[in-house]
Amino acid sequence: MEALITTLKKEIIEVLNLEEMEIEDIETDAPLFVEGLGLDSIDALELIVLLEKKYGLKIETAEEGKKILFSVRTMAEFIKGNK
Amino acid sequence: MFIRDLSSISPQYTYNNKIFENEIKFYSGNRYLAIEPDYKNMIPLSLLRRMGKAVRMGIGAGLPLIKKHPGLGGIIIGTANGGLEDCIKFLNQIISYNEGSLTPTNFVQSTPNSVAGHLALMSNNTKYNTTHVHKGLAFESSLLDAKLLFEQDEVKSLLVGNVEEISDYNYNIDYLAGLFKEKEVDSKSLLNSNTKGTVCGEGSAMFVLESSPANSLAEIKDIDQICFPTESEIIEKTKHFLDRNNLTESDIDALVLGLNGDNRTGFWYNNLNKKLFKNHGVFTFKNLIGEYTTASAFAIWLSAHIIQGYKIPEEAVYKKPQSEINNILIYNHYEGSQHGFILMCKS
Repeated sequence: MEALITTLKKEIIEVLNLEEMEIEDIETDAPLFVEGLGLDSIDALELIVLLEKKYGLKIETAEEGKKILFSVRTMAEFIKGNK
Repeated sequence: MFIRDLSSISPQYTYNNKIFENEIKFYSGNRYLAIEPDYKNMIPLSLLRRMGKAVRMGIGAGLPLIKKHPGLGGIIIGTANGGLEDCIKFLNQIISYNEGSLTPTNFVQSTPNSVAGHLALMSNNTKYNTTHVHKGLAFESSLLDAKLLFEQDEVKSLLVGNVEEISDYNYNIDYLAGLFKEKEVDSKSLLNSNTKGTVCGEGSAMFVLESSPANSLAEIKDIDQICFPTESEIIEKTKHFLDRNNLTESDIDALVLGLNGDNRTGFWYNNLNKKLFKNHGVFTFKNLIGEYTTASAFAIWLSAHIIQGYKIPEEAVYKKPQSEINNILIYNHYEGSQHGFILMCKS
């Protein structure tokens, strides 16, 4: 799980061009949107595409999306649970 | 129309005007990359991280001018290609994602009108907003648009500028098409290289233009353009261009020519120089910033400084002018097919 979380943080930095950030700067349990990293709706689309392209996983509903994209840990749990 | 203020991000130290203190960057090879300022103080990080180079340079050159001159009557940008790198990224995504889910970022950033749009959004300017994309005449078309607006008294001031970026993908395509040098040439010897092809450049120059001459740096008196001319048509066009401004060749104090070291198309400049302006001073700029479709915007930036009496680096002086410079003719063409004329005068 920890390895997956680290990989996911690297991928988030890459796809969102968070050039100023290091893996250590992203808290695993902090909210990704509004607070925490302060991401927005365009970033949400980027993360949805990341899950589809890298892990072959689709988010079916907006409600599901809110839960899955809440934090790096919830994303990792979604990936692990659906592999 | 009169230049009230100006700014340039280019492969030279133009953003801070160090170029006029003899700080010249010399290049070897085919790519003259822009020297970018630190954008963090002017662009929020949340926006900056999504911006491609073209958008970044356009905002970096234009936004400080808009803030310094509030209430501008509109924004006009000339760019042949816009954010080319992001455009190709988006097209590649369509293929690699098998036409599935696509993110909008690269597409939004890559459209040519993204720069003018960003500038308007970031400055809350809801007035005239247009982007011209006529390849090698995109910037001349922007100036013509501005001139018509001023003549019709529709605006009192405008931000007019250009932006172009080097994209890996496009560079490779243009290289294969023979646009660039096959053998490495340094910028000091580019204009005397006498081989086919040129070097690739990029940058953004922005101008606050006003209808009033008050506090202006220089006047852009007239613009003209012609496509696919013969050599004699260029001569006739030039004479007509001067004539309609009540000038003759002897009223021009210096030429600013788009010489780029390509021995296939240099004759256009040399012919005009020899036939009409044999004893005139000549300045060049593409040995400083490379060739790109809207490079004439940089020529205006340079000419405004020549008229203002700045110490012009010797690399830009092809033939030293003999007199004080009040009138400058900028002549530039792109690949020998699209030719532009810009007349600049002391205001």
